[in-house]
Amino acid sequence: MVKIVFKFFAVVSYLLIFRVLLAEPLLDGADFDYGEYLSGQCVTCHQSSSDKGIPAINGAEALYIAKRLVLYKNKELENEVMQLVASALDKEEIASLAIYFNSLEK
Amino acid sequence: MNNLSRRSFVSFALASTSLLAMPAISTGSARPKVVVVGGGAGGATAARYIAKDSKGAIDVTLIEASKQYYTCFYSNLYLGGFREYDSIGHSYDNLSANHGVNVVHDWAISVDSSARKVRLGSGATVSYDRLVLSPGIDIKYDSINGYSVEAQTKMPHAWKSGTQVKVLRDQVLNMPKGGTFAMVPPPNPYRCPPGPYERISMVAHILKERNPTAKIVVVDPKNKFSKQGLFMAGWEKHYPGMVEWIDNDTHGGIKNVNPETMEIETDIDTFKADVACVVPAQKAGAIAMNAGVTDGDWSPIIPASMQTRADSNIYVLGDASVASSMPKSGFSANSQAKVAANHIRGELTGSKVFAAKFSNTCWSLVATNDGIKVGANYKAGEEKIEAVEKFVSKTDENNAKRKKTYEESIGWYNGITTDMFS
Ligand SMILES: Cc1cc2nc3c(=O)[nH]c(=O)nc-3n(C[C@H](O)[C@H](O)[C@H](O)COP(=O)(O)OP(=O)(O)OC[C@H]3O[C@@H](n4cnc5c(N)ncnc54)[C@H](O)[C@@H]3O)c2cc1C
Ligand code: HEC
Repeated sequence: MVKIVFKFFAVVSYLLIFRVLLAEPLLDGADFDYGEYLSGQCVTCHQSSSDKGIPAINGAEALYIAKRLVLYKNKELENEVMQLVASALDKEEIASLAIYFNSLEK
Repeated sequence: MNNLSRRSFVSFALASTSLLAMPAISTGSARPKVVVVGGGAGGATAARYIAKDSKGAIDVTLIEASKQYYTCFYSNLYLGGFREYDSIGHSYDNLSANHGVNVVHDWAISVDSSARKVRLGSGATVSYDRLVLSPGIDIKYDSINGYSVEAQTKMPHAWKSGTQVKVLRDQVLNMPKGGTFAMVPPPNPYRCPPGPYERISMVAHILKERNPTAKIVVVDPKNKFSKQGLFMAGWEKHYPGMVEWIDNDTHGGIKNVNPETMEIETDIDTFKADVACVVPAQKAGAIAMNAGVTDGDWSPIIPASMQTRADSNIYVLGDASVASSMPKSGFSANSQAKVAANHIRGELTGSKVFAAKFSNTCWSLVATNDGIKVGANYKAGEEKIEAVEKFVSKTDENNAKRKKTYEESIGWYNGITTDMFS
């Protein structure tokens, strides 16, 4: 019983901490039109036709895109071009880009 | 406007244009008009974004002399045998089919900026509310004694889109055994700062395979160049002893070139070549000069919008503009085009204008699977476009990393050409 209760709390706090408190705010302040404008910078490289050397990101999960961008911004993921791109993006810009690319067809 | 009044407006517009003495290309609509001259990295991108993002609210005409655009980017890879010539050619069909851009294959001859009209080679005129000029460069033939339009088949510059690079490749392939390839890079500022040195790498690559006792001599009017340490280390690694780079202080200045004797004369020495690539100084394409928006050789712009300082209805993009600190590259031109497109749309349709952001990355291929890159992002300052952050490849990177960089450049080539022409 104690174990089950503990598990229940573990799951709830996991959901609370990771899904609600940490993850969702990554997409706060997203502005679709701004995302569309900013995406102009990305699609010089990211197109489905570029997929061999540069991953296509159209239709990817918004949260996935946002998390990757944060990792590049913090230089926790390698790649000079992406570190450079992400260094110039603030929180709202990352969120806007994430929801915009998510809306595109794969 | 309902259908009926739109139709009567169209017939009125048609009737009134037929009264003009000169033929005019009329689209017969009340939509604001943007004319783009030059369908290269800057112009094709601008036309596509203005048409696409305004969803038909803006009437976009693209005036481009050629039916097929052969990219200068990757032309060095064609030279080195890494690409087929056809694979660097692109047509304008999708711009009209997918986005309704009115593509006119003709030369823009002159701009009447007070009447807001562009005159074409055919004699027709096209009127505009906003004009975008992205004509690229013209070669300053008289910047090197002895060089001329006629000299360019003997000593090709191959620095503009088109077939010159094929001539150059043929000449390199047929060079006598143990012969000399000479390269004269251009003085600053010029299109594609690392381009001459990538070209040297690609020529070395062919010669190493087919003509290994041949030599390359680079007679540079400069004392340093883009990604110099990376290129020089690459030449030493892949083509040891083949490339000799001579800076301006050492040769004392280029005095003369002679296409008949294939000689390049400098202050202290004369170099005799079997094949020579001579790239003179450059200036903005003639139409920018004609429009009265240049100061000296290039067109100064307002960084926040890419509007010219001389005329707020005229935007200049890419190589023709003074966009320093950005280099003259296809990537830069594409980036500037999106800033201009956003601004023009805002002016003509009231859509939101977002702050300008620019970026650039230039990849170069040094040898098979040995790619290097340099990049930066930029913001609009009052006076100039200011670099915010930069990076450059390191000399000690391993082979896997260099291969990845090369593959990334292939992704970029496919990406940017899709972004221009799809
Ligand atoms: C060897 C070489 C390698 C390069 N490699 C790279 C690279 O790897 N990456 C990179 O980013 N950049 C590279 N560049 C640079 C790049 O090609 C240019 O910076 C880019 O093309 C500039 O774009 P633009 O729009 O200013 O001009 P362009 O792309 O040259 O387009 C101008 C267009 O305008 C047309 N035109 C001109 N005048 C008129 C007129 N009056 N009427 C009608 N049409 C007209 C021309 O036909 C042309 O199609 C390279 C250049 C060279 C030479
Ligand atoms: C100069 C080319 C270039 C530009 C511009 C660029 N990217 Fe990237 N991007 C890359 C490359 C290359 C990678 C892969 C890096 C790696 O795997 O080492 C990448 C990876 C990514 C990834 C991770 C994809 C994955 O599945 O791992 C995301 C997300 C991403 N980019 C988003 C963006 C966004 C958003 C922009 C615009 C703000 C942008 N990129 C602009 C080249 C570029």
